[in-house]
Amino acid sequence: MAKEVLVVAEQVDGIIANVTLELLGEGKKLAHKLDAPLSCFILGHNIDSQVDRVIAAGADKVYVADHPELAEYKTLPYRRVIIDEINTWSTPPHTMLMGSTTSGRDLAPRIAAYFETGLTADTIELDIGPYEHKAGVDKSKIGYFPECLYANRPSFGESLKARILGPWKDPQMATIRPGVFPLPEMVSKPRSEAAKIKNVEVKLEESDHRVRISKILREAGSKIDITEADVIIAGGFGLGSIEGFKLLQELANCFENSVVAASRKAVDLGWITYPYQVGQTGKTVRPKIYIACGISGALQHRVGMQKSDLIIAINKDPDAAIFSFAHHGIVGDLFHVIPEMISQIKASKKEPAFA
Amino acid sequence: MNKDLNIYVLIKQVPDTRSKAGVNADGTIDRAKAGKMLNPFDAFAMQAAIDAKAMGGPNSKITAVTMGPPPAIAILYQALEHGIDKACILSDRKLAASDTLATAYALSMTLEYVQAKDGPADLVFCGLQTTDGDTAQVGPEICERMDLTQITYCEGFEIRDNLVHARKVIEGGAMEVEADLPALITIANSYNRLEHKTFRGAKFVQEVKRNEAIQKQFVEIIDLADCKAEDSRCGLPGSPTIVSATWKIGTVGGSCKMHQGKSVEELVGEVVNINQETIKEFAKA
Ligand SMILES: Cc1cc2nc3c(=O)[nH]c(=O)nc-3n(C[C@H](O)[C@H](O)[C@H](O)COP(=O)(O)OP(=O)(O)OC[C@H]3O[C@@H](n4cnc5c(N)ncnc54)[C@H](O)[C@@H]3O)c2cc1C
Repeated sequence: MAKEVLVVAEQVDGIIANVTLELLGEGKKLAHKLDAPLSCFILGHNIDSQVDRVIAAGADKVYVADHPELAEYKTLPYRRVIIDEINTWSTPPHTMLMGSTTSGRDLAPRIAAYFETGLTADTIELDIGPYEHKAGVDKSKIGYFPECLYANRPSFGESLKARILGPWKDPQMATIRPGVFPLPEMVSKPRSEAAKIKNVEVKLEESDHRVRISKILREAGSKIDITEADVIIAGGFGLGSIEGFKLLQELANCFENSVVAASRKAVDLGWITYPYQVGQTGKTVRPKIYIACGISGALQHRVGMQKSDLIIAINKDPDAAIFSFAHHGIVGDLFHVIPEMISQIKASKKEPAFA
Repeated sequence: MNKDLNIYVLIKQVPDTRSKAGVNADGTIDRAKAGKMLNPFDAFAMQAAIDAKAMGGPNSKITAVTMGPPPAIAILYQALEHGIDKACILSDRKLAASDTLATAYALSMTLEYVQAKDGPADLVFCGLQTTDGDTAQVGPEICERMDLTQITYCEGFEIRDNLVHARKVIEGGAMEVEADLPALITIANSYNRLEHKTFRGAKFVQEVKRNEAIQKQFVEIIDLADCKAEDSRCGLPGSPTIVSATWKIGTVGGSCKMHQGKSVEELVGEVVNINQETIKEFAKA
């Protein structure tokens, strides 16, 4: 069996999550470079309708495990089904990708540890390329590897971004946060000419039922998803307190489909909750307008918002790092700048010609 | 009534990013200048271990386990000050450059070593992730190796009839589960904050530091040979991944149009004017 690029799908209530479609879009590029098929593993119950969606997103092959025990994500049953299936293959997948979500981060390390292979967390860029390991401490690694999975992630320490790779063993694994890659164009195809579909046998063992779900509490309707807003007003430590977010909300209210968001420091201080965090360990956003207020522009924040169409930064420090990548920088006190901005934007609507 | 619980908590020392020392403006760390601290997530794990002990029988006990260079022993003393009963550190030069898989191997060998002396674990607590690695992988990788019941992103739990009833974070909400022991639980930062040091704990640490015999008994220092870990599975040789390149992303471009040195009205006016098309498109009517 040819080597594959395998995306493990994530579904909630039987609907494939966007992160899976994003990974299929990016996975397609990797599959092209490897001249390998792109495959998708779907686990759930009554999920047949989702097969068409992953095919539309680019999957050449689909593995479907449909079983009542798989309706909701559970570590051990999911782990068992995926590992059992891969063990029937003559070679494991070359690359295996999963969302860096609460369930992806629960499952991916289990599979990596089982295969004793490498796993890069919270990757921000993926590619395929060569690597040569010359003499070093570890002689067993020496060799030339033409096709490695490059997984780049922001790193902690002396440098800001690191390329992590591990071509010595397949599958080469990575997790990726939702929103890092754009959604692919969906091209629906009739199944007959589309992908190969394999129904995977589900055989669970007694020991797979060690964790039993007693209740699921999902906030229906009011699900906040900052990745879907056109305009984001983000606040950082410079806001000084939780009160500052009221001012940001006022500015957000000037726009359609807008939302407030925050840096990690503001989240850690409890000024706003985690779903609103932008950055490496929060969400990656790419709105039409991003207004950063009192945010210094640390790399871990930047990787989550640098692809926004228009970035306006407000900071009282002219040397703040955010001014190195924003499109417009206003040097000033946000408590003066924002109220002025609110009144000018409101005014601009009243008298259309204001040049 | 629950049985006596044998509890382990895995903790790590990380660079201190709370103070300005050693923290550069762009978020990078100057490790030489930066101080050290207990991984903030592990403080929640420690509180969870303390809470679990209170739910167990009267002879329940907690052992803190870490891996790191000798100075990391500081966080073990910190654990004892908070009322943790015993501690063990795995320290060996051969562990340098371990990735998550190698780390999980070394820690599981350490756990097996302490379990051989102190009895099998009923519960192992970990912080959800570390602030320096930020992967959340080591806990689940240990579960895979040791075949423990896995609960990640836990924000609250109870032990009833020797079962764990836990609440955990999932995408878009939370989930309540019932799970069998022995279990490894990773604790999210929405868990209760670590309570203050106890008077007894602080006194005990003073005694441990003074008396070498007591120290040997309560703060054990071991190396790879002690826990029978294979060198080839630790450090660089045991790590399936390497860092092949790093980038210093310094100041880029200079393409930012700066607005400064004028009245707030003028500054905002400039920005709103230049971008009026975009702003109008999204401004509320
Ligand atoms: C592994 C790891 C992961 C991380 N993940 C993330 C992440 O996902 N997201 C994230 O954001 N961070 C993340 N961080 C943290 C990141 O490194 C920074 O510490 C953080 O982004 C800083 O937040 P801040 O800009 O709000 O605060 P600061 O860096 O303290 O900046 C505050 C800014 O406000 C300005 N200011 C103060 N008062 C005013 C005023 N009145 N008017 C105007 N400006 C003012 C100051 O000049 C300063 O530039 C991570 C760090 C690590 C190590």
